[in-house]
Amino acid sequence: MELSFYLYLAILTPLILSAVIALASPVLKEKSGWVALLSAIISVGSILMVAFKMELPGSVVVSTEWIPSLGINFSFLADGISLFFGLIVSVIGVLVIFYAIHYLDRGTRHARFYSSLLLFMAAMLGTVFSNNLILLFCFWELTGLASFLLIGFEFQDSSSRIGARQALLVTSSTGLLLLVGFIMVAQVSGSMEISELLTSGLPLEEHKGWLTAAMCLVVLGAFGKSAQFPFHFWLPNAMAAPTPVSAYLHSATMVKLGVFLCARVFPFFMELELWPQLLAIVAFGTMVIAAIFALLSHDLKAILAYSTISQLGFLIGYYGLGPVTGVEYDYLHILNHVFFKGSLFMVVGIVAHATGERDIRKLGGLMKRMPLVGITCLVAAATMAGFPGTTGFLSKEMMLKEIFDAMGSHGLLGLYATICVIVMSVVKVAFSARIFMNIFMGKEPDEIGHHYHAPSFALQVPPLILAACAFIGGVLPIIMEKAFALLTVPGINIAPGHLVIWHGFTPELVISTSMVIVGLVLYWVGQKTNWRWADIPKTFRFDFAFEYGLVAFSKATKLITSGLSSDRPMNYLPMIFAFLIGLFAFFFAQHFSSLDFLRVVEWKIDYLRAFVAALIALAVLGALILKRWTTQLISLSIAGFLTCFYFVLYQAPDLALTQILVEAVTLIMILLLLGRFPKSAERGEVSKRCTRTRQTFNTVAAVSMGVLMTLFVLMITVDPHPDPIGNKFLQQTVPLAEGSNAVNTVLVDFRGFDTMGEIAVLVIAMLGCLGLLLRYKRTEEEYKAGPMGPPGFGIDHREEGE
Amino acid sequence: MQIETAILVGILFGCATYMILQTSFVRILFGFVILSNAANLLVLSMSGDPTGKSAPIVRDPNALMVDPLPQALILTAIVIGFGMTAYLVLLLYRLFLDQKTTNAAEMYAETEQEH
Repeated sequence: MELSFYLYLAILTPLILSAVIALASPVLKEKSGWVALLSAIISVGSILMVAFKMELPGSVVVSTEWIPSLGINFSFLADGISLFFGLIVSVIGVLVIFYAIHYLDRGTRHARFYSSLLLFMAAMLGTVFSNNLILLFCFWELTGLASFLLIGFEFQDSSSRIGARQALLVTSSTGLLLLVGFIMVAQVSGSMEISELLTSGLPLEEHKGWLTAAMCLVVLGAFGKSAQFPFHFWLPNAMAAPTPVSAYLHSATMVKLGVFLCARVFPFFMELELWPQLLAIVAFGTMVIAAIFALLSHDLKAILAYSTISQLGFLIGYYGLGPVTGVEYDYLHILNHVFFKGSLFMVVGIVAHATGERDIRKLGGLMKRMPLVGITCLVAAATMAGFPGTTGFLSKEMMLKEIFDAMGSHGLLGLYATICVIVMSVVKVAFSARIFMNIFMGKEPDEIGHHYHAPSFALQVPPLILAACAFIGGVLPIIMEKAFALLTVPGINIAPGHLVIWHGFTPELVISTSMVIVGLVLYWVGQKTNWRWADIPKTFRFDFAFEYGLVAFSKATKLITSGLSSDRPMNYLPMIFAFLIGLFAFFFAQHFSSLDFLRVVEWKIDYLRAFVAALIALAVLGALILKRWTTQLISLSIAGFLTCFYFVLYQAPDLALTQILVEAVTLIMILLLLGRFPKSAERGEVSKRCTRTRQTFNTVAAVSMGVLMTLFVLMITVDPHPDPIGNKFLQQTVPLAEGSNAVNTVLVDFRGFDTMGEIAVLVIAMLGCLGLLLRYKRTEEEYKAGPMGPPGFGIDHREEGE
Repeated sequence: MQIETAILVGILFGCATYMILQTSFVRILFGFVILSNAANLLVLSMSGDPTGKSAPIVRDPNALMVDPLPQALILTAIVIGFGMTAYLVLLLYRLFLDQKTTNAAEMYAETEQEH
């Protein structure tokens, strides 16, 4: 089999099985977990096959065209870093799915859970293996979507919904920044393929400012995903998800994407001056703040969430300070974190499941009940604190060594990093001790006994495996060393030096030991004071501000919408008329000079036409002024019939004929209508006076409309076209249409299709009238209930706002 | 230039605007009828001063005749205007049957009180 086959198999298996599980949920039900497990195992196997098939260290690109004209392709890159992250994702996926099978209660929506989990896994694998920037972005956002579904899995809880929404909004909006950054990179480099960019490099010299901006956007994307300051608030709230999800997404994989991205773009951007500054200052700052928050929290998952943020801060800052040749121990730090944090999350899940309690202040003395879990927790917590004999110790020693080196190479920035790392390490020892001691040691509170039920053995296996890895790796580091050397990627990292447990009495060891002692003292102080002072200051709870912002945003949009719209249709007409008048007035203001003709032209008046016009005007004004409907109608009809006469004066016999007929039918029709209305309706009209402002507006609108239309007519008639198109019709009517009446031939011959359209309009109007007449019969109750209320499908928009 | 037509069109448009802006549906209907007449006259004014011209019925090719095109357009407009008027009349009828009112302000009065 080809290498590409295994690569596609690794990514597509979870994607396809995710859909299968979703569709076959009625059949699979609780068995869907085993299907998911199978899928994850296939992925692990495929990635291992890819690793065996290729030469390591090295890289292979597998590509299929997608949108070649834009340089967007389904191209995947298998190299050390993508294999490393891919293996973490799939192996932890296997453990987490196995854990979840025993964790989830019966009756929960298993298929939905595993379907989302596999979708997430596929998206993660796609992200780490992507070779195309746009493809990477697509998978990147897909992980956000899948995590939204998983965090909001228990959507009956409002905290779940809020957590899911925060995670989605923060990660997807920062993801968009990432997209912009990628496009900016592609603009100047001319390629979207990471492998090509790696060989050619970015034109940093020519486009320094542009690429610095692009780098900032990309880094912001990474910060959002990895919950770095100021986006640190979403991760603790995402802990509303079921524990397997927290263990998988929010410790081992998704939040690591920010770290992965920093590693991926490290060779591109690291030579920019802002790169070390931005990454180190923000990430190391986040590291310290989050560690302190972890100490100040009481919820088990919140403690772990903040400690995750802290660790991610370290990893990102680590890439920030990396030397040109590449960083040395990134895999060690990442793997170490995966071991202990995944394990701790699962332990916390077991504890919360067994006791129904997640507040560390209400737990204690569980060692007797759950010895295996206790030992797991002990190893994991020791790893987190960096005790000898664990990968945590190796990681911490290397961290200190490198940070001291950085002090030499980065000066002040290195000093800042050193102080941050020391503070973080001390605090980390304190809350690591607290997690183990306060859950498993001491006196057991009485409430636990009532609720306690023992966890199944299978549930305890996955965390145990991870803790064991941390232990074995810590005792026999030579195993990891080989693997890391194989996975190096030129430009990103170099083969790590020899890892040994014992370095002799080095300054690092002294500092490390003293940090442990200070950390334990800090823990002891906390125990003495009963952690009463521990509470996260409100100013740093950005999630509150974020939620307020969301509410304010929706209120503001609602305000704008209701300000620009009206529930009453008659409020729209004034706007339309005001706009029309404004348009006309603007037009005349533009052509003001052309109104000069009013002074020049001779004012000759045809007296007969003027007389008829005056009569029409009088009749219409009558319709306006008269009170009763019938008299108004009569006045209107008079105006209509006089218009016929006016048409005659304009030498338009056809118009006059049509007008007489139409006017007569209209009169009869409206008369019939008015006859159906009771007198009370008409009397009711008089009492309905509109407001004074509206009255004034109506008058002003009417007068200005009249004046503008008069000016308009004068303007278009003052200088008629010397040869209007009508003359052609007059000349052609007899030879072409064999008819002497030009108006008739225009209608039925020259512009016959217009007339057909006119007839169509009449038919449509007739059908509409028919529809209005065919009303369903209302029941007696409905008649008694009175009018049916205003039209509009019963939707009242304002009501929703309250 | 036909001054009296211009003034007449202005008055008709003004009256139509005023009536359409009322809340009474009957008045709005009347306003619409006036508006269609006003629009017809506006188009008619474009055929120029008819003084000394004959109707566009060709008997003597050399005779001076008015422009037939605006008349043809108006003829279409009158018929369509009639169709619209008929539709509005029946709409108003139906509205009254369902809502027991002929006034927009009254029809929406209930929703206003609720808020």
